[in-house]
Amino acid sequence: MSQPFLLIQDLRKLFGEVAAVDGVSLQVRKGEFLSFLGPSGSGKSTTLYAVAGLYNPTSGDVMLDGRSILGTPPHRRNIGMVFQRYTLFPHLKVAENIAFPLRVRGWTTTDIARRVEEMLALVRLEGYGSRMPAQLSGGQQQRVALGRALAYDPPVLLMDEPLSALDKKLRDEIQVEIRRIHQTTGVTILYVTHDQEEALRLSDRIAVFNHGRIEQVGTGRELYANPATRFVAGFVGDSNFLMVSSVIAGPGGRAAVTLPDGSAFQDIPFHASSRETTTGGAELMVRPQAVRFSPGAQAGLPVKIKDLTFLGDTVSALLTTQWGQEFWLRMPAQEVGSHAAGQDARVTWNADGCHLFQT
Amino acid sequence: MLLTYDRMGGLKVVLWVIAVAVCIFLLVPIIFIIALSFGSSKWLAFPPPAWTLRWYQDLATDPRWLTAAFTSLKIGLLVTICSVLLGVTASLAVIRGRFPGRQFLRGLFLTPMVLPVVVFAVATYLLFLRVGLGGTLIGFVIAHTVLAFPFAFITISTSLESFDKSIEDAAVLCGAPPIVAFLKITVPSIRLGLLSAALFSFLISWDEVVVAIFMASPELQTLPVLIWAALRQELSPTIAAASSILVLITLVLMMIIAALRRRLAE
Repeated sequence: MSQPFLLIQDLRKLFGEVAAVDGVSLQVRKGEFLSFLGPSGSGKSTTLYAVAGLYNPTSGDVMLDGRSILGTPPHRRNIGMVFQRYTLFPHLKVAENIAFPLRVRGWTTTDIARRVEEMLALVRLEGYGSRMPAQLSGGQQQRVALGRALAYDPPVLLMDEPLSALDKKLRDEIQVEIRRIHQTTGVTILYVTHDQEEALRLSDRIAVFNHGRIEQVGTGRELYANPATRFVAGFVGDSNFLMVSSVIAGPGGRAAVTLPDGSAFQDIPFHASSRETTTGGAELMVRPQAVRFSPGAQAGLPVKIKDLTFLGDTVSALLTTQWGQEFWLRMPAQEVGSHAAGQDARVTWNADGCHLFQT
Repeated sequence: MLLTYDRMGGLKVVLWVIAVAVCIFLLVPIIFIIALSFGSSKWLAFPPPAWTLRWYQDLATDPRWLTAAFTSLKIGLLVTICSVLLGVTASLAVIRGRFPGRQFLRGLFLTPMVLPVVVFAVATYLLFLRVGLGGTLIGFVIAHTVLAFPFAFITISTSLESFDKSIEDAAVLCGAPPIVAFLKITVPSIRLGLLSAALFSFLISWDEVVVAIFMASPELQTLPVLIWAALRQELSPTIAAASSILVLITLVLMMIIAALRRRLAE
């Protein structure tokens, strides 16, 4: 890889004794859309704020185009940012909001007027220039904020959960807008979210945060198919973690596994993070989509169907094992057959869609 | 909700009587003094035998009253500036700052409101005598600023608290140096709070009499002090006229504050 456009190097941020960011390193390509995905308090926003310069990191470095930007105060970093909360300047009209960064930069009146029109067109709010922020809906306000942040052509645009205050339908709409704007402008975007669907839909790559660290960076497909850790496996996509009572390690990184009710499964692949030994506790991760009702009555894991929900193309079922653990199944509706809630059934899964995690 | 007005029956009458009595007690002295200021009787006879503007003419031509009014205005404006500036900085510290003792400081800032004024006046008087500030304009302004500051602090810190710091951060990231972001974005956003703090501060100094009596010297008297001093010498309708003007200005400022509050609430 050639020199990365944006480089975050072993970033650490302590608040008192607590490490909000605990050694984050990341390389971002120019023009890339990269999401920080993680639960609240995982350090994703703090990392973003360190790039913005609103927090000074305790140690580590942030480099843009090969140069450290930590010594540059936030107002000279020339970075765009859209916040979680509505941050339009309440006493200024929409056009004046977008013009603000240009005024500060000493642009001429004609240049500013032209650019403001361009930005209003970019965020599809032509004709809204003379409105006050309070007269706009939440979605419109965030679009103006986006226009304001892009008006001065920043090399990097930071977005801190910009859609979390909006309702689902509006969120979907603006996600489409954000994708379009990313494609038109080619700006490099760091996007913080706790919504995996949003991250999957928008991003080129996703960095999964947990406890102030990055667990894995990759495309949505990579994270889903090859989660690097148990956390990523649980956080990206839906997953079941079944209790395992014994593991017998075999050749080729595979194992024979016995579940608490005595059901045995052969040829289950160890996850890369596992020690691949026979000792110690383990969990079997199975995606709900990989689980199927077994055709025969004898093979597979015996379960009770607690609930079966019809979701159009698919059916989602909540199952209980004999040792009382709940887990989920999701399958095409036409394959369900006569199975119904309250019945006993047996389920199986494709061994290649599973991961064996050792603890 | 047991005690609603509709369920009170006969008690309603009692409530009405009390309410009317309170209003009368509050309003009658003011109406009385305003009426007397336009009355022709030198001895403040009521009802006045005839109406005149003579006492206002006297006021306007008497240099003592004019000087006192000007002094009041000057001190009031200086107090307003000091109290708002202090209010802004103190609010920034308490709302934005992250240091131990913030809550204690918040309480401390409000003590001038609860401390008996006469105690504060005597203490300040003794202190200022010692450091040579007694009877000086600076001393006057300092003492009144202490009294006005808590009101400015409450108003400004409330509006600063409800102002989202992210908006200022956004301005900084847009390229505005922090001080510019504060002056161009935050200050206009909390302007109603600032204006209301300014009016409050001015009013507190404008009609304050206890501390003013201790701070005043023959050369430096505010309007309330002069009214009080004049009262002790003679009871003249000129005092009624001066009082009416004092009330009028206070009333106008209070109405502006009330209008501002309504806009703030929106």
